[in-house]
Amino acid sequence: MREKKPASQSLAAIAAGLLALVMAMAVSPAKADKPQRIVSLNLCVDQIILDLLPHERIAGLSFLATDPSMSVMAHEAEGRPSVRGSAEEILALDPDLILAGEYTTPATVDLLRRLGRRIEIIPMASSFDGIRAVVTLLGRLTGEPDRAAALIGAFDDRLREVKARAVVRSPGPRPRAVAMQVNSLASGEGSLVDEVLEQAGFENIARSEKLGPAGRLPLETLIADPPDVIVRANSAADFRTVLADNLRHPAFRALASSRPSVSIPMNEWLCGTPRIIEAVERLAAAREELHRRAEARR
Amino acid sequence: MNPMRLAALLALAALAAFLLSLFLGVEGFTLAGSAEARQTILLEVRLPRALLGFMVGGTLGLTGAVLQGYLRNPLAEPGIMGISGGAALGAVIAIHSGIAQSFALALPAAGLAGAALATLTLALLAGRGTGPVTLILAGVAVSSLAAALTSLALNLAPNPFAASEMLYWLMGSLTDRSLVHVWLAAPLMILGCGLLAATGRDLDALTLGEAAAQNLGVDLGQLRLIVVAGTAIAVGAATAVCGAISFVGLMVPHLLRPLTSGEPSRLLLPSFLGGAALVLLADVILRLLSPMGDLRLGVLTALLGAPFFLWLVLSKRSELAP
Repeated sequence: MREKKPASQSLAAIAAGLLALVMAMAVSPAKADKPQRIVSLNLCVDQIILDLLPHERIAGLSFLATDPSMSVMAHEAEGRPSVRGSAEEILALDPDLILAGEYTTPATVDLLRRLGRRIEIIPMASSFDGIRAVVTLLGRLTGEPDRAAALIGAFDDRLREVKARAVVRSPGPRPRAVAMQVNSLASGEGSLVDEVLEQAGFENIARSEKLGPAGRLPLETLIADPPDVIVRANSAADFRTVLADNLRHPAFRALASSRPSVSIPMNEWLCGTPRIIEAVERLAAAREELHRRAEARR
Repeated sequence: MNPMRLAALLALAALAAFLLSLFLGVEGFTLAGSAEARQTILLEVRLPRALLGFMVGGTLGLTGAVLQGYLRNPLAEPGIMGISGGAALGAVIAIHSGIAQSFALALPAAGLAGAALATLTLALLAGRGTGPVTLILAGVAVSSLAAALTSLALNLAPNPFAASEMLYWLMGSLTDRSLVHVWLAAPLMILGCGLLAATGRDLDALTLGEAAAQNLGVDLGQLRLIVVAGTAIAVGAATAVCGAISFVGLMVPHLLRPLTSGEPSRLLLPSFLGGAALVLLADVILRLLSPMGDLRLGVLTALLGAPFFLWLVLSKRSELAP
């Protein structure tokens, strides 16, 4: 019997250890569920995780994150290691979670996966529902579901506020608007720009013209039947030549300056993030101004 | 054909194409909107497009005719010889480095510098008793180098949008150009074309060979300078506002040569008018094909021109053989 005692003791010890482990997992998520070295390879994911995570858990962001013409979080992204996209530099950061976009080079994604890294492909949001879904997904993958829910909650609160104000301050039929981009592009149904215009209480003429997510609205058509509000969706200064000629055209400028104009530069609508609410608020303000002008004329 | 009658017919064709370009809109030959809107559309959107189409087409046609005469080479053309490529490279570098934004004439100036460099390279080669095939191959090499350096600039573009910007620019287009572009480029194109038009008599003499031309009193050094300067100024300015539009200078003189007496001087005015008509017509056709403006002018002329080039090479096989 003397030999048996240590055996039962060690069994009990193992059982106790296992129990402790299970309890630990139940009480606070293990480190495996809360990745500590997260690398993002996508501009849009960059901007969401900067709001979602403590910055010390972000081991790398895409090289576009610090470009102010493309990212609204360029300032916040400063100081984080930046990644151009090659597997080698990503591995050097020793990530425990890699977040890639749908258009991240498949060869890089495959290689990282074969090397045993955890890599997740994050879809791009082109609607407000899409934004809620992406933020929720990122919250789950990074172990921060509560923080994700809070971000979505704040977004929804501000959206409700915009709509409540519109009922009081700018009632009546929806004014017509269009968001003009370089190359005479205008975004209709299925695009984030369209969702922003519609949520802010405008009728998007690119939608009525059935242009799809990235259609073309020739300058001529715009001049022939101009909308009430023209949104400058690119800054001509960011584009050096032909692409922005439509925005620099004297006829376009004359048209845009003769009505309330809103500027929503590309960095604000390129990515579906909760920060898009700021564009909705600015558009709602333009709608109020339009309403005031109409009242004053009456 | 009687030279006067040919010029008159081509002038009529160019005028007809100009009017078509002016009155063809997004939805056919209709003009929508208020009176004020209609005036804006006609004068500020369509007129600059038609004017630039006329000037750029004329410039390219005339340059092709002069280069073919000067180099005594049926395949000479600003596009194939790398002159448009040089202009494109100059402009791409200006875009990439941000010089393009520094002063109003920076972009045409950069295009001009690139075109001048390419033209000068070719003219120096041409002066050394180089055969037509060698010269064309030198042009192809210049063209390839310009394309490679342009790719390098695209490759190193600071962001995806800068790259797409350069790419679109290389496709050549007249869409959404304003009178600002006309004022920027037209004086230079007129100056360059004026220089080139003055070379007619010397080019005629040159058909007899360089020695004979010199005996007839042609100053070869001066002629080269005028051809290089005229080509660089005219093609540089055209490319800087409209991007690369190729093969016009190849097709037009060839189509018109059988209708003239064959002397280079008799081909200059018809080539200018014919080039203008061709580019305006191509611009009208592509607007009919894609009213929303997705199709680019340079793409259409290249689609027409490249098979023409191949046909020309095959039909001139015996002439080009060393």
